[in-house]
Amino acid sequence: MASEEKTREILKAIQDAVVGYDEETCERLCSSVLEEGIDPHRAVVEGLTGGMERVGELYNSQEYFVPELLLCADALNAGLNVLKPHLKIEDAARKGKLLIGVVEGDIHDIGKNLVRIMFEAAGWDVYDLGNNVKIERFVEEQKKANTDIVALSALMTTSMLAMPKIIGALKAQNPGVKVLVGGAPLSQEIAQRYGADAYAPDAVAAVKRAADLIG
Amino acid sequence: MSMRPDMMSNKERIDALLKGRPIDRVPHFPFIPGFCARNVGYPIAVMYSDAGKSFDAQQKTMEQYGFDWGPLYGYASYGTWEFGGTIKMPEGDYEQAPAHVTFPVQSEADVAGLQLPDVKKAGCLPTAMAFSHLQEKSDTPISVICGGNFTIAGNICSVETLCRWMLKKPDLVHALLRLATDHIVDLVRYWVETFGADRVIPQMWEPSAANYILSPKQFERFVLPYLQESSEKILAMGVKHILYHICGEQNANLPYWAQVPMGDPGLASLGEEVDADTAIKYFGDTCVIIGNIDGKVILEGTPESLYRLCTETIAKLKHAPRGYMMCSGCELPPASPPYNVYVMRKAINDAGWYE
Ligand code: B12
Repeated sequence: MASEEKTREILKAIQDAVVGYDEETCERLCSSVLEEGIDPHRAVVEGLTGGMERVGELYNSQEYFVPELLLCADALNAGLNVLKPHLKIEDAARKGKLLIGVVEGDIHDIGKNLVRIMFEAAGWDVYDLGNNVKIERFVEEQKKANTDIVALSALMTTSMLAMPKIIGALKAQNPGVKVLVGGAPLSQEIAQRYGADAYAPDAVAAVKRAADLIG
Repeated sequence: MSMRPDMMSNKERIDALLKGRPIDRVPHFPFIPGFCARNVGYPIAVMYSDAGKSFDAQQKTMEQYGFDWGPLYGYASYGTWEFGGTIKMPEGDYEQAPAHVTFPVQSEADVAGLQLPDVKKAGCLPTAMAFSHLQEKSDTPISVICGGNFTIAGNICSVETLCRWMLKKPDLVHALLRLATDHIVDLVRYWVETFGADRVIPQMWEPSAANYILSPKQFERFVLPYLQESSEKILAMGVKHILYHICGEQNANLPYWAQVPMGDPGLASLGEEVDADTAIKYFGDTCVIIGNIDGKVILEGTPESLYRLCTETIAKLKHAPRGYMMCSGCELPPASPPYNVYVMRKAINDAGWYE
């Protein structure tokens, strides 16, 4: 068993490896977590997720841009692959389940992918339907995966018009499901008008809003 | 409608503007294919798959709403199909333009095998060429529209792959940008050989280099040198003007954009993200400024709010040193209320006259 001091040192190094998008180091450090007998769940939460939270801040303050953020997520995933098989079942019970996709008519998926990354980093189970997703598919897949939340992304004023229909169809099938919307043309006001449960302006805020929703 | 009668024909106005001579009023520049399709009752896909119908729908709509310049053919996902991937034409109620389905480059190894497209045969280019023959016949400016170098590269391998490689495998990014740059030059040369350098005004749209995605430093390193190279080669063919659509949030890139030669004058098309003073600061001395009426206001604003936005924008940009053409900040949303499209022209009528 590693000492608390040693444990903290390794967790901090994992955070730094995520922030520095150093995939190999992150993977190696996560292996050392197992060798040193450190709780893998703690390494996920304080190391990997903690690192990705710092990445989100750097992105919001425009020190990092999409290229850095994508590689940070790759480093995180490399570490997660090492730790995942060793998580206990009760720890593996994730924060929540999320279905995400870009609405019909829209292929702008970079923002949606960043949102997915931040949810995964925060310990959610994410089902990603990709881009240009038809209304019926959202409804079917929500039923199949029985997710707590459906997150809809639209980057065009044209395609966002599909949102109220999707929200209506989702709620008709499952009145309990919560819908989170986002993307450049959306706003709090439009989200409300469309009958969404929440809106978030960016990927970091999206995770917070979703956590509030399932309270 | 009671509009003050024009003192110049559309062609005279555009010619004079490009030659730096006085014009009667601010021209209305079109960025409206989807709206035109709806306006005449065609599916939007026709605008991209059928040169004749596309031209016809645009010409009719432009006459109805008083646009200058002339019909245009092109879309932002350019490059995917031409380099060997697949795209899908827009269908249904919400689609606005062609979209990529599979990218020609899926792995690092694919980059080495990639070849320059045959500009006479590849992807949408036969349709684009047929469209340009219609432009030639109707005596409107002849365009050839493609992505900016970085956007084409993103359409070859996906923007995210390009982003990852920028940090991990910069050589692959340079290899793709080399191909994109050589392709742009090949493409414009084909148009110039067909129609003459005097008639061709190429358009390059560069959304994927926006600062939502790249840092200004990354723009300087990966985007700027290639833009400069293709621009210089195109201008060396005798082309007089190049239009760059600097799409989205690019404020931090503008000092670099100002170093890209765009002709004399160049044509700088800007989104609503760039304010009028900034536009004049970076492009006023070298370019006609085109833009930047917010599509969200055109789609959802009241006629009064849109009228105010247009007249205020005209007041700020009308006296830009090399001139100004009013246009939506990016493609006009196809579902815009027709009255709002009329309001844009009305704003020019009320606030856009010179003298
Ligand atoms: C890059 C880009 C492209 C690339 C897309 C590459 C890709 N794989 O995504 C390409 C070149 C392919 C492209 C094509 C087109 N584009 Co484009 N494009 C852009 C641009 C410049 C940047 C978008 C982007 O990636 N941003 C970076 C990401 C990180 O930001 P984001 O998506 O906003 O996401 C953040 C937040 O919004 C939020 N968020 C996003 N989704 C969600 C979801 C939830 C649930 C939550 C909570 C939050 C959230 O979190 C994210 C991270 O913090 C925008 C400009 C703009 N204003 O956004 C235009 C823009 C979206 N495009 C536009 C247009 C018109 C087009 C075309 C129609 C052009 C054409 N005629 O061909 C085509 C459309 C093709 C199609 N069928 O979809 C217009 C849309 C106008 C409109 N109708 O409203 C825009 C707005 C440009 C403009 N100023 O007008 N484009």
